[in-house]
Amino acid sequence: MYEIRFHGRGGQGGRMAAEAYALAAFLEGSYAVSFPFFGAERRGAPVRAFTRVDDKKIRIKTQVYEPDYVVVLDETLIETEDVLEGLKEDGMVIINTAKKPEEVRLSKPVKCATVDATSIALEILGRPITNTAILGAIAKATGRVSIDSIEKAIIEKFGARLGKEAGEKNAKAARVAYEKTLVGVAQGGKAFVPRKKWLPTVEEMPIGGATPAMETDAGLVGIGSFIENKTGDWRTFMPIIDKEKCIGCKFCWFYCPEGCISMEDGKASVDYDYCKGCGICANECPVNAIEMKREVRT
Amino acid sequence: MIQKLPAKKMVVTGDYAAAYGALLCDVDVVAAYPITPQTLIVEEFSNFVNDGITDAEFIMVESEHSAMSACIAAQAAGARTYTATASQGLALMHEMLFIASALRLPIVMPVVNRTVAAPIGIWCEHNDSMPQRDTGWIQMACEDNQEVLDMIIMAYKIGERKDVLLPVMPCLDAFILSHTVEPVDAPSSDEVADFIGKYEPHAMLDPDNPMAIGTFTPPEYIQELRYQNHVAMENAKKAIKEVTKEFADEFGRDYHGLIEEYKCDDAEVVLITVGTVTGTAREVVDKLRQQGKKVGLIKLRFYRPFPREELRSIAENVEAIGVYDRAISYGSGGPLFIETRNALYGMDVPVLNFLAGLGGRDVVTGDVEKMYEILMKAKDSKPDKEIYWIGTRGVSI
Repeated sequence: MYEIRFHGRGGQGGRMAAEAYALAAFLEGSYAVSFPFFGAERRGAPVRAFTRVDDKKIRIKTQVYEPDYVVVLDETLIETEDVLEGLKEDGMVIINTAKKPEEVRLSKPVKCATVDATSIALEILGRPITNTAILGAIAKATGRVSIDSIEKAIIEKFGARLGKEAGEKNAKAARVAYEKTLVGVAQGGKAFVPRKKWLPTVEEMPIGGATPAMETDAGLVGIGSFIENKTGDWRTFMPIIDKEKCIGCKFCWFYCPEGCISMEDGKASVDYDYCKGCGICANECPVNAIEMKREVRT
Repeated sequence: MIQKLPAKKMVVTGDYAAAYGALLCDVDVVAAYPITPQTLIVEEFSNFVNDGITDAEFIMVESEHSAMSACIAAQAAGARTYTATASQGLALMHEMLFIASALRLPIVMPVVNRTVAAPIGIWCEHNDSMPQRDTGWIQMACEDNQEVLDMIIMAYKIGERKDVLLPVMPCLDAFILSHTVEPVDAPSSDEVADFIGKYEPHAMLDPDNPMAIGTFTPPEYIQELRYQNHVAMENAKKAIKEVTKEFADEFGRDYHGLIEEYKCDDAEVVLITVGTVTGTAREVVDKLRQQGKKVGLIKLRFYRPFPREELRSIAENVEAIGVYDRAISYGSGGPLFIETRNALYGMDVPVLNFLAGLGGRDVVTGDVEKMYEILMKAKDSKPDKEIYWIGTRGVSI
């Protein structure tokens, strides 16, 4: 049996990728299971998905803690957490990035495959949904399933949901990614401060879970804790407001689901610490004063 | 706030006793949906509001689900709340019951035990409250109207204790208590205020001191919260014993905690009863005792928390135990039977189940005598079955 852990953000399709991979393995005669783990997160929040493949029925129902492969759909995630956690000694990480494997820095040197799945997705699909492109990279990097099976699985799974044409386009994204994937070794040495988590005992837990603002060893908890938890890093596209065009109508302020827009001198202004880049403001703006721009993080 | 009410003797229904108990406890908010299967409890209370005896907020809502929702919100804002329901209404409330207990809100809600449809019946059966077993509410059953009034008062004192903080559901049998008048001693409002004290919430919705209550909570935290509720329910056993003792000291009526033993001291067989059948069974026990039969009775007051230790202690000294149920868990047995046998696990005493009075059929002395007759036989020879449908046409005993 081998196990894959997918790291992505809500909306990038990590779950669909994990499921499509399982289907591809199944098409080749294997037994495969796949499942996501997420909470109530919206588009952009870190989410995980898992796939297990074996030649016999898989009975274990736990999450995957010691994967053979780690797949990272969003390279910003390698900055905030050690995606190699639990990766087997001879394991491999597959990352969506424009960098070459040797340019990637992780917690330890490790077999690494890279592909610029975002650019491929934007070019072929017109959207930064990288889950199909990354599947091509997995096929290339691991050799565990053929790209033909990946394509079949994508057409079956995505075609059923999005229509035949979309299925084929996604299969193409996988094929292009397969061809462009580079395999090498990533650098090690990147230090991660383990994130402390508030894990109260029964005694420490506020009665009935009624949580006031609390300072804990793991930082703020409860009301106001988002002062520390800046969720703007979920963003792929950022809204840019053209102050010349803005007429101060407050439509964006009204529609923003995150309360991230305030009015300054009668013009809209975005709080990028928390804006998730959903684009609703740009969609609602009656004078097209808001443009969603691909965000490049360094 | 309520007007000062002197102690008085009344001849009232169980419904009135339940409403008057809430009045004496000076509840702040009552939310209710006054339509069948609702009983007169909330209507009686609305009269108190109308007459200016209390300035409690009476909220007319559009369903029982909303009644409990309103109570939860008001209680979370620091109010002492009250509502009442029965059968189908309780079933509709089911979802919200979990929220009240998990948020540790000591709401008090009498339930008039009525048949849950189908077919439609408004008479006494316990198949409305017993399925609420796992909602985290303290659940108990009353024997007479005096106990109804007294229990409302004790319910607030037990539920609001810092080591408990759980909602309480006192149950009363439909018609047999709810629509039956009998004499009831009511204490004065001052006495009750002194007895139950002021409600001090463990946490409350307050704009000046914001707090997250009942929010989305991942798996890392919920199991500890579940354990807290389990501990609170275990603590309730001690609280119930202490509060019934305090109540007896203050008002002279002793309810003996989780169960009451009646002539169990030298009993060879005992019958466990719940609700109003207890009173009838007392008569039967007295009659059988006169005939020299060593029979005893256990009035089971609390279903949650369940009096495991008490029942085990009694079971050590008897030769057969019968459990009376007015509800059935299809494919298994009566809920109290299942519970009792679990509590007595490993003990070498036969436990039999008697089902009677379903759908509100009257349980007569002859029915109870039959139960004791079967128990006396079971003490001498191993019974050939466990579950007896008393007085069911076409079903032999």
